[in-house]
Amino acid sequence: MNEPKSPAVEVTNVSRWYGNIVAVNDITFSLSAGITGLLGPNGAGKSTMLHMLAGFLRPSAGEVRVLGESTWGNPEMYRRLGLVPERESVYPFLTGYEFVLESARLHKLPDAEAATTLAIERVDLQSAMHRASGGYSKGMKQRIKIAAALVHNPEVLLLDEPFNGADPRQRLQLMELLRQMASDGKTIVFSSHILEEVERLAEDVLVIVAGRLAASGDFREIRKLMTDRPHTFVVRASDNRRLAASLVADPSVYGVELRDGTLEVRTSEFAAFTHAVAGVARRNDVSIFEIRPTDESLESVFSYLVKR
Amino acid sequence: MIDSTIVRLTFRQLLGQKRTILMAAFALLPVLIALLVRVSADSGDDLQELTASVVLDVLVVGLLLPFTALVFGTAALGTEFEDGTAVYLLSKPIPRATVVLSKLLVAWLATVGVVLISALAAGLITIAGEPQDGIVLGFAVGVVAGSLVYCAAFIWLSIATSRALIVGLLYVFIWENVVVGLFEGVRVFSIRAYTAGIAAIFMDVPDRVFEADLAGGVAVAFAIFIIALTTWFAVRALSRWEIGEAS
Repeated sequence: MNEPKSPAVEVTNVSRWYGNIVAVNDITFSLSAGITGLLGPNGAGKSTMLHMLAGFLRPSAGEVRVLGESTWGNPEMYRRLGLVPERESVYPFLTGYEFVLESARLHKLPDAEAATTLAIERVDLQSAMHRASGGYSKGMKQRIKIAAALVHNPEVLLLDEPFNGADPRQRLQLMELLRQMASDGKTIVFSSHILEEVERLAEDVLVIVAGRLAASGDFREIRKLMTDRPHTFVVRASDNRRLAASLVADPSVYGVELRDGTLEVRTSEFAAFTHAVAGVARRNDVSIFEIRPTDESLESVFSYLVKR
Repeated sequence: MIDSTIVRLTFRQLLGQKRTILMAAFALLPVLIALLVRVSADSGDDLQELTASVVLDVLVVGLLLPFTALVFGTAALGTEFEDGTAVYLLSKPIPRATVVLSKLLVAWLATVGVVLISALAAGLITIAGEPQDGIVLGFAVGVVAGSLVYCAAFIWLSIATSRALIVGLLYVFIWENVVVGLFEGVRVFSIRAYTAGIAAIFMDVPDRVFEADLAGGVAVAFAIFIIALTTWFAVRALSRWEIGEAS
């Protein structure tokens, strides 16, 4: 495990455009064994990136290599690669067991039945495996798709929004399964637009915004960047002017503005400001009626990372 | 070259209840018309000509065969592109030629299953009591060969365009039934003409009973050429197939 290994996934200056629309713009990264989260808002280019990794889209420029080989136009690659697509569709006329078994047979596995049983056990779907998959819930479909993708025990597993539709218990179970696979030396890449999912599972993260790689690396570092970015709070207090005068002296605040009966406070240190504001108000005998951040949407967090 | 798992999956996919009922009902049409022809025929009617030039050539080869091949040929792979299940098939270590040939085999067998039974029943009913002179046999061989050409072409269409059904309908009803009728020179690009040409090889009938637009040898050669060409196009298109934004 400690031997230095060449990266399992190598993406070099990859772009992908559809006519005039640039979906992925000059992205470079490499990944080794472990779990990597591909984080970004909807439409950021995550699926395009995953599909290029999976060999289902040809890069318009640059090169994608998985386990040292190009994935585009290389079906043999799928012996070592598994893909869980985002779309829910499964063959509705097959039972869950048949769906995974046919995947095992298409992989020409020597003991397809045993591999099928094992894969279904890993996603904990034994109780429903003989039901037609067309009648499965969203979460069950996700799990049977994952079982089909890992039936051949791939070295690299790509998952597009794998937790969509899963309930909290199933989500934890899937996360545990992916952690196990990562500890077995597999390379797992999953996309998500939900920060908490990535935070709970991924060791490394790639933040994609508007087709560009906005940040990459250890999740804790990126989380810190997101938290320490400039924030604007709207405050409504019993005496906005007095509170503004005191807040401007606080080192966590770099700007205040009085407008239409409210106070806008700009801070570069989220945590320090939220700790300081209550004390400042108390010392000045000012009551705070409302305090809210103005730009906490995931999109604004991402766009900050892009502008850096 | 053929993958038994793909064949099995495609059969289950193609022969869904609604599609099977629709095709069975459509296949009954030439048989019912054959019965009507026999019931209403009088002694002056040439039953050989009615069998060859009307029931088999117009109803079976001109209508039932292309429509059935269009339904099965475009659905064999096309439905998987539409519903997103193609990803499961294409993310396996299977050569794209094997995928195309396996799908082609199923579409062809399904089309033959529907059209051949209908052709035999309708032909035998219409010509009953008259000398066959190879008419029913010729059309039986013709539809088996024609099914393969149509299916190969329609499978390619289903990979190359998301509007394969519309393009296929335009080909069958505008190109084969209108354009080919107007311009003799383009008959070599008509699958219907190949089917009739192959059927005529087995017949020993005067021209007033049945006359194919293409000589047998030419029909066979073009049929083989089109099968090979469209299958090659299909493999090439599938190798370059990219997942859609919505997939």
